[in-house]
Amino acid sequence: MEVSPSPLLTVDSLTIDIAGAHVVDDVSFTVAPGRVMALVGESGCGKSLTSYAMLGLLPPAAKRTGGRIMLENTDLACLTERQFRKARGKDISIIFQEPSASLDPLSTVGTQIAEAFRAHHGGSKAEAFEKARQMLVDVGIPDPNRRLHQYPFELSGGMCQRIMISIALICGPRVLVADEPTTALDVTIQAQILDLMKKLVAERGTAIVLITHDMGVVADIADDVAVMYAGRMAEIAPVHALFREPKHPYTALLLASVPKLDHAPKADLATIEGMVPTPSEFGVGCRFHDRCPLSTDKCRSEAPPLFDCGDGHRSACWHIDRMAEIRAVAA
Amino acid sequence: MSEQKNVLEIRDVAVHFGGNGGLFGKSGAVVKAVNGVTLDIVRGETVALVGESGCGKSTLSNTIVGLQQPVAGSVKIGGEEVVGADRKKLNDIRRKVQMIFQDPALSLDPRSTIGATIGEPLIVRGVAKGKALKERVGALLAQVGLRPEHADRYPHQFSGGQRQRVVIARALALEPDLVICDEPVSALDVSVRAQILNLLVALQKRTGVSYLFVSHDLGVVRHICDRVVVMYLGRFVEIADRDTFFANPKHPYTKALMSAVPEADPEVQRSKERLILGGELPSPANIPSGCAFHTRCPLATEICGRERPELTVRDDGARVACHHA
Ligand SMILES: Nc1ncnc2c1ncn2[C@@H]1O[C@H](COP(=O)(O)OP(=O)(O)OP(=O)(O)O)[C@@H](O)[C@H]1O
Ligand SMILES: Nc1ncnc2c1ncn2[C@@H]1O[C@H](COP(=O)(O)OP(=O)(O)OP(=O)(O)O)[C@@H](O)[C@H]1O
Ligand SMILES: [Mg+2]
Ligand SMILES: [Mg+2]
Repeated sequence: MEVSPSPLLTVDSLTIDIAGAHVVDDVSFTVAPGRVMALVGESGCGKSLTSYAMLGLLPPAAKRTGGRIMLENTDLACLTERQFRKARGKDISIIFQEPSASLDPLSTVGTQIAEAFRAHHGGSKAEAFEKARQMLVDVGIPDPNRRLHQYPFELSGGMCQRIMISIALICGPRVLVADEPTTALDVTIQAQILDLMKKLVAERGTAIVLITHDMGVVADIADDVAVMYAGRMAEIAPVHALFREPKHPYTALLLASVPKLDHAPKADLATIEGMVPTPSEFGVGCRFHDRCPLSTDKCRSEAPPLFDCGDGHRSACWHIDRMAEIRAVAA
Repeated sequence: MSEQKNVLEIRDVAVHFGGNGGLFGKSGAVVKAVNGVTLDIVRGETVALVGESGCGKSTLSNTIVGLQQPVAGSVKIGGEEVVGADRKKLNDIRRKVQMIFQDPALSLDPRSTIGATIGEPLIVRGVAKGKALKERVGALLAQVGLRPEHADRYPHQFSGGQRQRVVIARALALEPDLVICDEPVSALDVSVRAQILNLLVALQKRTGVSYLFVSHDLGVVRHICDRVVVMYLGRFVEIADRDTFFANPKHPYTKALMSAVPEADPEVQRSKERLILGGELPSPANIPSGCAFHTRCPLATEICGRERPELTVRDDGARVACHHA
């Protein structure tokens, strides 16, 4: 077995509360330099909040009530706002999920990228603009000289997303948190962005936390995958193992809802029955129990810990030995 | 074919930006975002619009619902002209067409509860009020996998995918004839996405609604669409029925697109050959002569830089704009 290098980023028992409920509950994972960790899971399960916490950007309603987020030996969660500002962009940076909400509508995109560069590297405006121009080439935006002087509303959705990516990458962060970075991109440009990320990982040892719903993207770039459900870690595994042999019922059902190429058009797609519980409904048991085909009384009354299944594969399920039944349901 | 069967008729629509010396037209370059496109959508049909980022999909979508004025061409919804329509007329037309915007953050009012947002069209059109309104809003929320009690929350209290579902619920509230969906499900995880796609299909079976479905996800396109339109730098380059399209893609750009679809299997995905497009990405402010794709096309010859290929019908009914495909 390969020995993994010591982690660059460690999320350890992170808990985030909103209105008294643990919307992120005891979440742990590590990312080594040069590795890509994909974070997947049902819409609303806490992926974005987890990533905001890493950058000290939680919304006012949300409070970190437990756990640590270590960048090597620094606990990010203990930084003051001033220290965070120094770290953001250079040590750790984020590509936000909704570009239009995070770009300044009143400032040209060139200025926004250049300012991000100058915040850490200083230097002249001209130098920063040249850096920004190069960045636009890297993310595949044609005619960069013209684009730099445009405002966000003059760019398409996918271009705005690539501006966000440029801002996040311009200072060469050691850890990149990418929240749905390619949702607005067509597959050819998406492939180009994924290649760019692979290059950062291979050449600079950047550690990436990639939040995505696209299982194809996960299959393409991730080394490890963490699957969240209703604020908790459901399963975590090396990418091949996760796809080949998921060990949590939620993961198996999630993988089964990807439209298959032989699926009859417009025929009902497999979904997971029921609805994800809201934080006020979180019970004491497994949060997936009321939608799970394997659930028993124990699942209702007792939350499963994250069991170690060997080879870096862990699953929070009482019935890992019955996974064959799920695969039958899913097929 | 009778006139009424077409929910949407687009004729030679062109939309340009800049070049008029306006506030932001400093560079003076005219961006030909949409450059003469023609398309009909019949009742109950779903047409996919796919193409490279920045090729003009959102601009065309905005033009169809009257949010963007074209420099040429005509857009008819249910036989009524959208281009140049006055406010009152547009209002009438908008009863029949709804739009799901690409970015939910831009289309929800941060100061309104989502119940108010979803209920608004129902109130404005006098469809429901009071208790009935509350029930209707609750039912719409449940349809998109949210909960009736979420109605009192504000947009910022939701995750990205939850916000997108609010936008979808609002668009479906009035049971429109046509919904323009600009990347409606890309923010959703696969199981919730499956639920929304099932909902869109069920609604179509029940009410005969048509969809223009802008998407980058060819798996979703294959599942939900009857016909596929591929756009490149403001023009349509391939139009075909779904089965024909997926069995036998013809335009070299379409082929590149297909080969770049990542597969949800690490083994397969990492050993796959990709068709990588060489050449400079052209700018929409300076569209290459002849075929706009010739600068990146593996099949390009001398004629491609000289003569723009028109869409021509092939044996299997597909229409393709290429000298060599
Ligand atoms: N400011 C807020 N106030 C109240 N609740 C919030 C707030 N922000 C997020 N939430 C809730 O916290 C939960 C987790 O949200 P988060 O944005 O982390 O989800 P996510 O996993 O990123 O989902 P998606 O895939 O849809 O983006 C959701 O149930 C959401 O409704
Ligand atoms: N208001 C505007 N002013 C100037 N240029 C614009 C404006 N809106 C769009 N454009 C330009 O028109 C072209 C087409 O943009 P559009 O948003 O239609 O692309 P798209 O196909 O939707 O791309 P994406 O897949 O990235 O969303 C782009 O070059 C864009 O920069
Ligand atoms: Mg999110
Ligand atoms: Mg768009």
